[in-house]
Amino acid sequence: MTHFAKRYHPAYIIVEIVSTAKGQFGFYILLFLLKANSTAGWVIWGRYALLAATAVSVLSIFAKWLFNRYELSNETILFREGMFVKKQKTVSWDRIHSHRSNTTFIHRWFGLTSLTMETGTSGENAQFEFPVITQGEKVRILSYLEQKQNRDESKDGIKPERTVHFQATRKDLIKASFTSLSFLAIFPLLSAIYFNLADFFSIEESAESAWHYLLDHVWILIVLFLAAMILSIFIAFVKTYMKYGNYVISDDQERIYIDKGIGNEVSYSISKNKVQAVRVEQSIVKRMLGLVSIKLISAGSFEGEKEEISSLYPFMPKREAYDMLHTILPHYPIKEEMERFPLKVLWLKLFQPYYLTIAAVVGLWIFKREWIWIAGIAFGVSILLRILDYWFTSYTRHNQTVQIRKGGWLNETFITHRDRIQQVTVKHDWLDRKFGVATIMFSNRANPSHESLLFGVSKEEAGIFYEWYHKKSVSN
Amino acid sequence: MYINITEPTQTISIKATKVWRISNTIGHTAALLLIGALMICSDRFDWYDWIGIVLYILGVLFIVSSIFSIFIEPIYLQRTWRYQVDHEFVQLKFGKVQQQHILIPMAKVEYVRTEQGPIMRRYDLYDLEIGTTTSSHKIPAIPANVAKTLKAEIATFAKIRDKDPKEGELGA
Repeated sequence: MTHFAKRYHPAYIIVEIVSTAKGQFGFYILLFLLKANSTAGWVIWGRYALLAATAVSVLSIFAKWLFNRYELSNETILFREGMFVKKQKTVSWDRIHSHRSNTTFIHRWFGLTSLTMETGTSGENAQFEFPVITQGEKVRILSYLEQKQNRDESKDGIKPERTVHFQATRKDLIKASFTSLSFLAIFPLLSAIYFNLADFFSIEESAESAWHYLLDHVWILIVLFLAAMILSIFIAFVKTYMKYGNYVISDDQERIYIDKGIGNEVSYSISKNKVQAVRVEQSIVKRMLGLVSIKLISAGSFEGEKEEISSLYPFMPKREAYDMLHTILPHYPIKEEMERFPLKVLWLKLFQPYYLTIAAVVGLWIFKREWIWIAGIAFGVSILLRILDYWFTSYTRHNQTVQIRKGGWLNETFITHRDRIQQVTVKHDWLDRKFGVATIMFSNRANPSHESLLFGVSKEEAGIFYEWYHKKSVSN
Repeated sequence: MYINITEPTQTISIKATKVWRISNTIGHTAALLLIGALMICSDRFDWYDWIGIVLYILGVLFIVSSIFSIFIEPIYLQRTWRYQVDHEFVQLKFGKVQQQHILIPMAKVEYVRTEQGPIMRRYDLYDLEIGTTTSSHKIPAIPANVAKTLKAEIATFAKIRDKDPKEGELGA
């Protein structure tokens, strides 16, 4: 069963044009409004260049719509691209690890959506995108994917029921908006606006006199400050509400589904057996409030992505989050009680060379001898960080999984399955051997690959860990 | 033995010491010449003082490091390098002051290739590079015939394993 090559929905043109317009909006404002009366050479030429750039991008959008097509078949998706240089990309349904879809405001006006398929590789062809398709088309594409991936396991063809595990309530959202501290964002925002305006108009002077006026009337300052706070709290709540509103986590036999967002809707789905590891993160604020953020690591998902969609709801109470994780992914049991290393590891850590301090001493000695005391601060901070690092590092291994926890400011627990580990390294240097410890490292697939490094494991455990991984196929 | 790990048995070629000595000599000489040239320039063209100081420090560091990496490092690196390839795992072990044990399952091996530079060609040696999904590893300086057999072996093992359990069906 092959289908004809399909184009994207015609609204592709509009969606792309709007996003181009968004990108160039600032330049138009600058060149045609703010510098409207300027006759400087760069402004005149800039206007022509800008118009030309706009024309080119509009034309290329039309061309892309005209020439980019895709074909779905039972085994693969085939993309045909390019006007002059023809390009074909084929991806097998098997290779899709996860998919997400993003419905922006414009998509919604036309009843459309976008879909991105993530494969397990990194590099140029790691993702395959359908930028503008109808909802019906999305369902059709996903039906191929599900059919293909289900066929191996269940042949009955009945769509498995989805179970909803979590839905964000208003209370969750209020908590989230405070935890993310995004209400503090108004201050950098205000200063950015101020300095941007100051570049164009000479508000420096009037601002200075206004500032003197305010200093004389402190109560106005306080009122202004409170108003700004209230406004920013409100903005933060609205932002959080838009981003995390309608947050739903559900699953069925094979896949996990995450939907979120109001206005700009995002949904994500990953096959359970493609989860490479689970990471639990807690910032200091979250630790005080007992909230955690759980992230699923998969080979395709890009770490540190702006829209961290592969994380389960990032502001969930710890207990609830662990229980949910246990139901969804029983293979990754998170243990709360973990072993900290013996105190000698702290001493060993403190014995390691202080490169930053040495660099500071050398650098300051040469360039600014009177600031040499800064090296002292660097030394103190290094010691403090090492103590914190020791304090929050712990490790445990049970049956098929290994779990490590690190980090003082941002506490991070990483748990993965033996079959998911790509390779292990055990290393030790002279000093380690005197202390009877070693460093273990193991890597997991992610994009870029995830390397876990744990310093100060006892030599016995390091040996057992190595053999645990080595005996893998024997015990199975 | 410090850690209770069954160590790999295969050793690399005795000629590795020579190869590393030659290549490190070339590399360090080039670097020292460059630093020397910069020092002369700095003197001749009155560059900032600190550039001269930094160059002196770098020069001293390079001299120390060249003594280490030409006369000392190649010997013990050659003596301590061990590897082993069976149909399940590739095991590597090397280092004396800092010792590393590396274990790579065949199932995760993505590619294997051999590599030979001009100095190695003189001694008929090859580097064998094993790439996994997350990184790549080099077994240095092994004789040509061993390298070829190993390459073929690893390729076969990795392929056989690939057909076995599909990713994700075991365990998690």
